[in-house]
Parts: sequence; structure tokens; C-alpha cells
Amino acid sequence: MAKKVITLALAGNPNSGKTTVFNNLTGARQHVGNWPGVTVEKKEGHLSYAGYEIKVVDLPGVYSLTAYSQDEVIARDFIVDENPDVVVDIVDASNLERNLYLAVQLLEMGVPLIIALNMMDVAESRGYRIDVNALTEEIGVPVVSMVATRNKGTQELLQTIVEVAKGNIKVTGLRLQYGREVEEELTKLENVISTNSLSQRYPPRWLAVKLLEEDEEIMKRFREL
Amino acid sequence: MMPLSMVTQGEVVQVVAVRAGWGLQRRLAEMGLNPGVKVRVMNSQRPGPVVIDVRGSRLALGQGVAHKIMVTQA
Repeated sequence: MAKKVITLALAGNPNSGKTTVFNNLTGARQHVGNWPGVTVEKKEGHLSYAGYEIKVVDLPGVYSLTAYSQDEVIARDFIVDENPDVVVDIVDASNLERNLYLAVQLLEMGVPLIIALNMMDVAESRGYRIDVNALTEEIGVPVVSMVATRNKGTQELLQTIVEVAKGNIKVTGLRLQYGREVEEELTKLENVISTNSLSQRYPPRWLAVKLLEEDEEIMKRFREL
Repeated sequence: MMPLSMVTQGEVVQVVAVRAGWGLQRRLAEMGLNPGVKVRVMNSQRPGPVVIDVRGSRLALGQGVAHKIMVTQA
């Protein structure tokens, strides 16, 4: 029987430890190239785990998934167009507030997300105590604690990746409420969008949010219809 | 209250408001620079960018952007 393949994307803020996690996962089995058409480095690696062949893609470090910079467009296009089986958001635990902003954006896109709470040692040394179970419940995705520089948490992350890919762990996700006025407009937009071919590829609510944000990429895709 | 571009190097200040369009406000918030946060000015020599420490990361802001960020003494 052929090995089952899992495509895994690593996302996260700059300096959250994505590349360290990437190296822990793939060791020397990696390939560095460029994303097509741009001189942004594309790193891919692979590993075998529990009968699965896991292809790991290290996305550029970004603060959000707006279409603001080339890095962000690359990260977003990969997630939207390549449909990875699992996305791991590497989060700097010592800087949760800023890092969770990207996590929320990934959740709104409806991707099968795992949060890797990295740099737990730094967070602890700063006196932060993070209730991992409460965080898991609050945002509806699995959360794994890690100290990537000491290769701690890698096994647990791999197990969680396989469980999410198999569908054994359900990623329920999060539906943020934006208040009555915005929600009314979102509902109107969603109703129009759901009859539209773009909604086959993207969650209608996410498209509605992006339209309200006047996201240039998404507005362009609508104009091209 | 004064613009971030006027703060002396080494001082710690608190962000009060970002007087800019929503595009820049959002962009700065994404990088952790939102009203209420404390920042330390690491470099404010002219000409050149204003370098600040915000939530443990360094950001380099153009003078124009720094001028739109209103701060008070922390």
C-alpha cells in the first residue's frame, strides 16, 4: 500500500520559531527554492511518521493575511489554493496577544489549524502562566506547548498533526462576533456570495469579511468573475 | 501628548492614538502597535527611521508614520 501523504504548512509571525520547528521536523531532508515569480525563499521538507509521508512547507513569516505585502500574499495563496491538510500556526507564547491575531485570521479562513505555543520557557521566565486547556476550548483548535530550541514538544505536535489529518481531532474553529451593525452587513453579503462560484473555494463569511475590509486581492477576484 | 517622531531616544512612552487612515491603523495594530501599548524609542536620529521596541520586537517606522502616532509619557 502506498504511503498516505499529509501536506503541512507552517505559518506564524516573524521570529516565532517557524524555521526551528521546521528543522526539528524535517532534519536535513529539506529543499530550498523560491516561490514562483518572486525572490522569497520557499522551504520544503519531508518526513515519515506513523505510516504517513508528511510534506512540510515553511511559509514566510507574516503578521496577518491581508494582501499588504508579497510575503502575506504568498502565505495566503498557499493556504487558499493548495489546501494543506493541516496548518500549524507557530505562536510566540511570550507574545500571545499579537500572535493570536494571525491565528484568528487563519481560523476565519476555516483551515484545519493547530496552534503550537512555542517559547514556553521564555513565557514562563517572564512570569506568564498559560492555561493550554482553556485556550483550546476558547478557540476550538488543538494547542501544543513547545520549546522548539530544545526540541521539546515535537513528538506531541506530530501526533496532533496526524490526528487532525485523520479527522480524529475535530477543529471546530471560531466564529468571532463583530457586533450587530457589522453582522447585518456580513449576513447580506454572505447571502449574495453563497450563490457565487468563489464560495466553492473560500468560506462565504471569510469572503464577506474581506470585502468589508476592502481587501484588494479578493475585490479583484470578484471583479474577474 | 505628542507625536512619536518627537520622542527622545531611550524614552518609554504609551501610544494614545494613531491619527491615520484605517489601512495604516490596521497595519500597525497587526504588528502589535495599538493604542495603550508601551513602546521604547531605540533610535530617533534624523534623517532615518524611528526604531522602537514594541512587545519585544523592533519596528522601524518612517518619520511620516511616526508623526501620526500620538503618545504620552508612560
